[in-house]
Amino acid sequence: MSIIQLKQLKKEYNGNFVLKGIDLAFNAGEIIGYIGPNGAGKSTTIKILTGIINDFWGEVTVLGMDVRKNPIEIKQRIGYIPEQAALYEVLSPIEYLNFVGKLYQLDESLIYKKSMDLLKLFELDDKANMRMNGFSKGMKQKVLLISGLIHNPEIIFLDEPLSGLDANAVILVKEILAQLKNAGKTIFYSSHIMDVVEKISDRIIIINKGEVIADGTFESLKAEAHKGSLENIFTALTGDSGYQTTAHDFVNILKN
Amino acid sequence: MDKILLKLVGIFKNVFNSQGIDYARMMTIVETKLTMDKRRVYMSWKQKQQKKENANHLNGVLFFYALMGMFVAILLFAFPSLMLGMILVHTYVLFMMSMTLITDFSTVLLDTTDNQVILPKPITSKTLFMARLVHILIYLLQFTIAIAVLPIGVAFFKYGFFVGLVMIFTVLLTVLMAVFITYLLYLLIIRFSSESRVKDIVTYFQIFMTVIFTVGFQVLPRMISLSQLTQTFQLHWYSYLLPPVWMAMAIDAIANLQFDALHLGMIALAFVVPIFTFWFMNKYLAPSFAKKLAAMNNGDNEKRDANTIITQQEKKPLSKIFSSMVCTLPLEKSGFEITWKITGRDKSFKLQFYPSMAYIAVFIFIFVFKSGEDLTTAWNTLSDKNVFLAFFYVPMMTISGSLMIVAFNENYLASWIYHSLPINKPGELIAGMVKSLFIKFFIPVYAALAIFCFYIWGINVLDDALFAFANNLFCFLIFANLSDHYLPFSRQPNTQQQSGKFLKAILQMIIVGITIFIHYILIKTNLSWLLWALIPVLFIACLLLIKRLQNLSWQQISI
Repeated sequence: MSIIQLKQLKKEYNGNFVLKGIDLAFNAGEIIGYIGPNGAGKSTTIKILTGIINDFWGEVTVLGMDVRKNPIEIKQRIGYIPEQAALYEVLSPIEYLNFVGKLYQLDESLIYKKSMDLLKLFELDDKANMRMNGFSKGMKQKVLLISGLIHNPEIIFLDEPLSGLDANAVILVKEILAQLKNAGKTIFYSSHIMDVVEKISDRIIIINKGEVIADGTFESLKAEAHKGSLENIFTALTGDSGYQTTAHDFVNILKN
Repeated sequence: MDKILLKLVGIFKNVFNSQGIDYARMMTIVETKLTMDKRRVYMSWKQKQQKKENANHLNGVLFFYALMGMFVAILLFAFPSLMLGMILVHTYVLFMMSMTLITDFSTVLLDTTDNQVILPKPITSKTLFMARLVHILIYLLQFTIAIAVLPIGVAFFKYGFFVGLVMIFTVLLTVLMAVFITYLLYLLIIRFSSESRVKDIVTYFQIFMTVIFTVGFQVLPRMISLSQLTQTFQLHWYSYLLPPVWMAMAIDAIANLQFDALHLGMIALAFVVPIFTFWFMNKYLAPSFAKKLAAMNNGDNEKRDANTIITQQEKKPLSKIFSSMVCTLPLEKSGFEITWKITGRDKSFKLQFYPSMAYIAVFIFIFVFKSGEDLTTAWNTLSDKNVFLAFFYVPMMTISGSLMIVAFNENYLASWIYHSLPINKPGELIAGMVKSLFIKFFIPVYAALAIFCFYIWGINVLDDALFAFANNLFCFLIFANLSDHYLPFSRQPNTQQQSGKFLKAILQMIIVGITIFIHYILIKTNLSWLLWALIPVLFIACLLLIKRLQNLSWQQISI
């Protein structure tokens, strides 16, 4: 039985279809990379899977439950880490995590202990009681990561988890994701660029303009790209595509 | 105060639970939101808050609201007429609540972090809705108490228990009206403009709010002595359209036990309209409002871009026209234009500078209308007194402040550009900046005041106006030359003031004092020809001062 299932998922904003019929099913314990250029519909899919958006066409089940009928049960058992470091910046990390933990109905002393321990691992324990207005994007992202995991969810949804993190933190996050997978968690993350984490993914879905255009492991997609069918989109996503002509034009204009 | 109100909510714990609302989670959200309210920077008090990062901003704001409420309470006490006093108090409550909601609550209303933080958590929409409602109610109650507690106290003391009791109700009804007005306003703004425009419009309300505070503290205490004016107080037919009048009439009916048709009608309006509008708002406006906000957050990016491009095209010419008129050097031109544009767009500059312009009106008011004098007689005898010097010289007192403010910008790091460019004389940028500030801010104000003076004193004050103009320009340039030279928008906000400032300020005051004194002597001695003769001398002095600014070298620039 699939842990996440999407059937003919469609979503429109003001007459534009941002998702044009997505059919996917995932098994428990996989790391799933959901990759696509900006505006492909990645965030919308995640918001539907996590029960944030509930007006869409098609059928979506998470943990065997319909996201429209049982959003509360689903939300209790999943974790969601949004992009753009969206959190209440005037609070301190401890206050914020306490707030989130209580919404998951965790015990307050347990929240405090967990939060401090996790902040320590991320080397943020000395800033635990400082307001987050002054934090860098990477620091906020770490707090968000903790806030999305503090209730030990079964599925973890991450929207652009690596943006703003420094090189060391990227390696740390990558390792955490791998360990979470070993612990039997399912991880679903989105990104607009093929990055170092893609190599640990069990399955990569590439979407473009609201449609799935590729589905497979990193290796199999790479092989397919070499055959030509996926070449352009793949090179664009891996970041090493043929921008030579644009660059050439750029330099030429400067000469005039 | 919020702690007490939270305890009050706690009484209804079982009611909430029986309604299918998760009380514990609701309180978690409400408490967190109230904590954030305390830490938010309140726009109307921004300048005053900059020093203390950890203070409870909200309490400070509430204290000032209560202080304003004290003046109103004193007026209510001093006015012999219950009607007038009550109209004043309810107008004050309505005005203050609407402005507070528009300026400060907008940050809460337009904040989309909520959606990203709370929606993914396991909370029913019913609980979330109730949490928001309880939060808003506590927020409103805190402000209502701060604003109205003293006036209500006076009502209890002066007019007895029943009037006080009824007033508590009318004040709460007035708050409902304020909520409705705010809602309607936001709905209109969102209906007709984009998200970035909404933020702009809110900025202007914030400026307006700060002005009201600034002016209010100066003018309200002075009004207390005017209470004898009120004996001849009359209500016009159109006053019956205003909510505060309904409330005042309702109180009047209870106080004097008058229940004629007019009073009964007013009582009906006072109770029915706020409750009906609130119901209407909840039922019809709120859903479409929520939809519009959601659509706004999902971003019609293309539409918004189109809007900003249009405004840019509209704004382009003015700064270019002036810069080519008054600037000769290319670097000066770009200093002029960038100052012109950024002062027009930067929110924190506008919030700091425009409210200080309100002092122009306040000082003129203080100089011209001495206290204890009747307003109407003061107005009628205005042309007999030679107080036009106040009109000519007061504007400089606040507008010279722009020289200081223009150095600061939240985006101060962007000033690396000046240092990385092959600029020989950074003074040219500063000269352009000074010219820009003078033309953009001083000339329009001065022109308006001069026209007013021509209207009151006739065209024969023309020589004084011209002389004072040259004098003002001279003083402005002296200030620019004497102060530390910062490149425009290059300093981090809230940095420490430099020492030695005091001496410079004294020196500036002396120079301004001397120039005004010379003008005064020339008027007294009737040496009009000397006035005319001195104008070109002053302009030549100004040219030299500009030259000196242009020639400033990197060593003379403070960083």
